[in-house]
Amino acid sequence: MTVNRSMTLLVGDNPFHGISHLSQERSRARGAEMGSIGYLAGLVETSLDNGADGFMFSVSDVTLSIVKELRKRRSDLGFEAYAIVPYAYEYVRASTHTGGFLGLGKKVAKDIIFSGNVKAAAFGVKGIVFTDIAALLKTYILYELHRIKSSAGKKVRVKSILLHEILTEMALALDMDWLVRAYIDFMQKLKMSPGFETRNFPYLVKKFKEWNIGFEGLTIATPFNKVGFQMNPSKEECEKALVEAEDANVIGMSILAAGYFKPIEVVSYLKELKNLKGVVVGVSRLHHARDTFRIFRENMK
Amino acid sequence: MKVGVVGLGKMGLLHSCILNTLPGVEVVAVCDRSWVIRRVFKKLFKNALVVDDVIKMVGLGLDAVYVTTPIPSHYSVVKAVYSNKVARHLFVEKTLAMNFGQAKELCDLAESFGGVNMVGYMKRYAVTFRKAKELIDNGVIGDLESLSAYAYSSDFAEASVGSKESLSRGGVLSDLGSHIIDLMLWFFGDLTVESAAVNSVLRSGSEDAVHFNVKAQGGIFGEVDVSWCKREYRMPEFSLTICGKDGLIKVDDDQVILEPKNGDLRKWYRHDLGDAVGFLIGAPEYYREDEAFVKAVQEGSHVEPDFFEASKVDYLIEEVKRRRMGNDSQ
Repeated sequence: MTVNRSMTLLVGDNPFHGISHLSQERSRARGAEMGSIGYLAGLVETSLDNGADGFMFSVSDVTLSIVKELRKRRSDLGFEAYAIVPYAYEYVRASTHTGGFLGLGKKVAKDIIFSGNVKAAAFGVKGIVFTDIAALLKTYILYELHRIKSSAGKKVRVKSILLHEILTEMALALDMDWLVRAYIDFMQKLKMSPGFETRNFPYLVKKFKEWNIGFEGLTIATPFNKVGFQMNPSKEECEKALVEAEDANVIGMSILAAGYFKPIEVVSYLKELKNLKGVVVGVSRLHHARDTFRIFRENMK
Repeated sequence: MKVGVVGLGKMGLLHSCILNTLPGVEVVAVCDRSWVIRRVFKKLFKNALVVDDVIKMVGLGLDAVYVTTPIPSHYSVVKAVYSNKVARHLFVEKTLAMNFGQAKELCDLAESFGGVNMVGYMKRYAVTFRKAKELIDNGVIGDLESLSAYAYSSDFAEASVGSKESLSRGGVLSDLGSHIIDLMLWFFGDLTVESAAVNSVLRSGSEDAVHFNVKAQGGIFGEVDVSWCKREYRMPEFSLTICGKDGLIKVDDDQVILEPKNGDLRKWYRHDLGDAVGFLIGAPEYYREDEAFVKAVQEGSHVEPDFFEASKVDYLIEEVKRRRMGNDSQ
């Protein structure tokens, strides 16, 4: 069935960090090829000029510098931002270098204190004194939001903050419904869409239903592609879950299955996915940015 | 099936998450020596008992225990689990022990207590390495002639000289090299170390880059390189290139390439090899590994790699260190 509707098109940041889920060899080549912040900002800008509605990125020094550069270049226009927190790779590395979770905790606390965000620090004190995990999460969200806004300025509309898949999967696996609820409430108070990145979409849908958490207003980024790459437990189950979570703003990731397909080859599959509200795709060359978003704009908008 | 997890670092948390999603499995007790970690995990594991000593898990009726503490404590924790009858079935994160002597003792203990035992060499459960093993076992490249392998990461590529950052991880051989050694043992059977060189990059006496040569059954010659100071290895990477009489196989975490001497090159990505799992966190191989362990416990069957197979990795690591004499450089 072909559904006639307009999809949100987002440019993603994976290639900017030298990430390729196809092969690590390709990751290394990308890492070596990736140019200056100016070039990367140019990739996002070209994507926006050719039909992308916004930028989905993990909050890191690199992406914040890109956002800062975009603020200068597009002061009149702005764009929509979908931010994923935390940038897990940075934190896993930090945990390696600081001797595990305790060292990592100390580092993050230090970063928050020195950010000068009083509200975040206040939530943090409460979180530490009472070992209140929800308060600690709120502290962290406020800290990341502060970083984004300091770099992006007021024109950028932060549509959603998405919990990185590591946090989402942990919350699902350990039945942390109380944390998910606290996060959703907090994001709604901030007037932003609570977001979740997951590679276990059917499991999330099942759990949220069990926990009586509605899907309306939620943003969920999860893989959708023709070969079922990173779609767990199966492509069919993910497609079924998409029907069940029709109220959610589901954004398809890994739509090219990490470079396995060309953009034109995936259009018809994506258009058949009832309830898919948007897609995110990474680009690493200016002509990729132009061609990819032109194809999606012409076929999916 | 009731499971206890000892050690709440990255791996303890990862296994706890996976186990909780497996049908019929429940993590009912967790243990860590740090009171800060225990305080946090009491909030996260609302349905599990959080204790500071493995002895406090006695009498909980646990079917299995996961040992995910740092390597130096594996020996004492495993001994405590067995001798206090905390549980009959054990999963231990790699490496089994600090040295072969300890590993051998643990093998004997496991044998006398019975039950299922497994060590977390999860690369065996990655679809690409499984495909490569299948190709080799089916004789697709004919009689094997040589192999080269590496295990690289950038974990300490930017650490300054004199840095103590790697201290908590021990040496690169146990940390990173053990995976590639286990894969080689799985692919080729027993190995003999011919020569070895250990480089200290971070500080005097540290084990940061190791190169060694091995010989496998049938006179197959192999070269292995291991380092955690390589630039641009964003994620740890494990690779094997195997030459046979009729062709070559190159395999890493993402792909398998088959280059027959007579015939067309073939390539399989994870996409092509059915990589989906019941619940994905970390990497699909962790789920498959835990699923295999749980299935073995439930059915009373054997699972790979068990303590005995894994102890061969400890033996080989010791052999590399013994052979390094006179080859060191700093």
